[in-house]
Amino acid sequence: MSTTREPVVTGDPLDGGLSKKGLSAGTVGLIGAVVIGISCIAPAYTLTAALGPTVSEVGFQVPAIILVGFIPMLLVAFGYRELNRQMPDSGTSFTWAARAFGPWVGWMAGWGLIAATILVLSNLAGIAVEFFFLLIDQIAGGPGTIAELAFNPFINVGVCLLFMLGATMISYRDMQTTQKLQYFLVGFQVLVLVIFAIAAFVHVAQGNAFDGSAPELSWFNPFAVGSFTAVVAGLSLSIFIFWGWDVTLTMNEETKDPEKTPGRAATLTVITIVVLYLLISISLLAFAGIGTGELGLGNEDIQSNVFFFLSGPILGPLAFLVSLAVLTSSISSLQSTFVSPARTLLAMGHYGALPKKFAAVSPRFFTPGYATIVSAVVASAFYAVMRFVNENVLWDTITTLGLMICFYYGITAFACVWYFRKQWFDSVRNVFFTLLFPLVGGIILGALFVITLVESMDPAYGSGTEWFGLGSVFVLGVVIIGLGIVIMIIQRFRSPAFFRGETLSLDAPISARSGRRARKEAAR
Amino acid sequence: MSAPVFVVGYTATDAGADAVALAARLAAATQGRVELVTVLLDEGRGAVVPPDASYDAYVREQADGWLEAAAAGLPEGLSHGQHVRQADSFAEGLLDVAAELGAAYIVVGASRGGILGRYSLGAVANELLHSSTVPVVLAPVGARGVTAPLTRVTAAIGTRPGADAVIEDAVALVTAAHAELRLVSLVTIDLPSGVDTGVIRLAGSTHAEMVLSQARATLPAGIVADASAAQGASIEDAVAALDWQDGEIVLVGSSRLAQPRRLFLGSTAAKMLRELPVPMIVVPRTHNESSRTNTLEGERS
Repeated sequence: MSTTREPVVTGDPLDGGLSKKGLSAGTVGLIGAVVIGISCIAPAYTLTAALGPTVSEVGFQVPAIILVGFIPMLLVAFGYRELNRQMPDSGTSFTWAARAFGPWVGWMAGWGLIAATILVLSNLAGIAVEFFFLLIDQIAGGPGTIAELAFNPFINVGVCLLFMLGATMISYRDMQTTQKLQYFLVGFQVLVLVIFAIAAFVHVAQGNAFDGSAPELSWFNPFAVGSFTAVVAGLSLSIFIFWGWDVTLTMNEETKDPEKTPGRAATLTVITIVVLYLLISISLLAFAGIGTGELGLGNEDIQSNVFFFLSGPILGPLAFLVSLAVLTSSISSLQSTFVSPARTLLAMGHYGALPKKFAAVSPRFFTPGYATIVSAVVASAFYAVMRFVNENVLWDTITTLGLMICFYYGITAFACVWYFRKQWFDSVRNVFFTLLFPLVGGIILGALFVITLVESMDPAYGSGTEWFGLGSVFVLGVVIIGLGIVIMIIQRFRSPAFFRGETLSLDAPISARSGRRARKEAAR
Repeated sequence: MSAPVFVVGYTATDAGADAVALAARLAAATQGRVELVTVLLDEGRGAVVPPDASYDAYVREQADGWLEAAAAGLPEGLSHGQHVRQADSFAEGLLDVAAELGAAYIVVGASRGGILGRYSLGAVANELLHSSTVPVVLAPVGARGVTAPLTRVTAAIGTRPGADAVIEDAVALVTAAHAELRLVSLVTIDLPSGVDTGVIRLAGSTHAEMVLSQARATLPAGIVADASAAQGASIEDAVAALDWQDGEIVLVGSSRLAQPRRLFLGSTAAKMLRELPVPMIVVPRTHNESSRTNTLEGERS
């Protein structure tokens, strides 16, 4: 029997076929899981990219938004964990949504995940390029001219494409950073961020901060923002900053102790991340204020990459440490992020939702080769086009990214609720983890998605770039989702089997209680 | 002696197809057995990419499929097995399987893109050549197109001592495959101009003749060997000067720098590799005992 030539797709329930223990079973310990979690979130990169846009929405109340933004993330992550336990599959959101709601919704959830990860890939590479030039500039003694090169669109796009090429090679060939190096890099990243925050506080205390203001309790009060729409916009950004955290929860059989490790790792990771985020955001708010002055966090020119502009004034000669931390964090994150669209594309190819080529595994490196290359090409093309069309590209991709995450996380949360509908009341635990938590999380994310979409029609939204009389974030979001629908319909005609539910069927596990009842009756 | 086992390091690439084709030819000639092995790398060696057990399972299924397809392409009647292994490196996995099965040979394909010659050693072959305790067979690019039976075995004898293992292995192969044996000594004439090359050539070839006749003397009774000394300005020239049959295979010893019973590709062998139109087997210096112990272990288990 030849499996290579035959269609690999079967109608069998995948929880029988795909969930067999793999090579990774039991390979990750607690520290390893935390390191993977922090690497995926990449706090240094996330903060430099998201802090500015968040400040422009909610002003001083960033700490409050960070804390509130964690709630829907946590609720949805619980749903993720349930789904992953029931049917572990590389297609994650795509597979789960298709099982719960059928092929069309599943397809769009997969599309949302792929779009979001491709957006973040281009943003990551863009941030990496800016810090790459800044780092060289700092090492050369800070003439400032080298750092400026990053803003020449031709040099920027050229270097960015080289970075993407490198990251693609690494992913395609599955060259992994060794554990020791990665532990070091993550430790370094956290340490530098702490030093950065402390230095900013010292400036504030000495009275030589740019726009010094003592931290207040009101910074933690989401109701002090004043505007509901601003809170919503801030929340969809704070979804982005926790994005990636769920991997710690969804690593089950891969961990050495599946009962305890994932929960502990997720807790430890989130505590580290939240403390870091609060520390950095409070210290930078205290140092730079929210004004639109030269270094003010409200200044549109610095908002898409605040560390880039603030590390020099805060750390002086040691500013290169921040550049190094952001650069290494972006590069690690590039590597881990590449895997997720590639694996989803692979699953979609496998089940016939996309052409078979996407399911191809490289025979030399055992990676989803074709899917990896397609992701890289699309991300590069997106970045290059956006850089020339719109100089606020980094800004807008972050906001659009938040939108796309709300979209597919929301669908996934509802998929969890619906998929387990027959088991909701099997136990108190199920009531919370398969019904209440994901339902509330899904509703919050769904509301964020809709409100953000409506708000972003206003040309003043986000970076204030106007396309066709509408906000650029709205146009980007609608184009991405619309493109998904178009490709989905084309696929419907090219490969109808998936859309008839022949490869991935609807399913809902039966209640354990009815199972017991059936067994009892059988016993009688 | 039991039928020799050929462990093939298989990937679903051209190089993998070369290796399988060559192993099948050798096994058919020696009534041996082919074991197709694919090695998947252990996850959890990195700390950036979240491991995904379901993806691994998918890859494993895919690897099984590849092996099935490769096995289906083997000539009928050839006994064979298939194995998917996980290990820290491809070479390590191959060596493990080879030890378990008491393999006589490990067969790997040369890497693609050998622009500078017929062989371009891939990372796997390279690692094997530095660590294998079992003779390693290198399939040149295009070996999958060769169908000629094994007609002749050429043992490359250096001008220095240490050829016993090579000769012993060559004799075993010749006996099993009923092929001809040829002993070859490569002589390079690489001298500054002005020296009377005629004299040197004479001296060099005289030395080579001596080595060859000594080697011939060690052959067991009943084995007839053709012997020739190949000359050229370089090893490459000398190799090109020899005639090669389609169904030929070359045996070379590993470097004298190698640890006992381990391989290490010497500089002469490396140069030969670049020019050689036929497959090459690199034999560990003191391979005999090791292969014997391996075979014994294999039989015991």
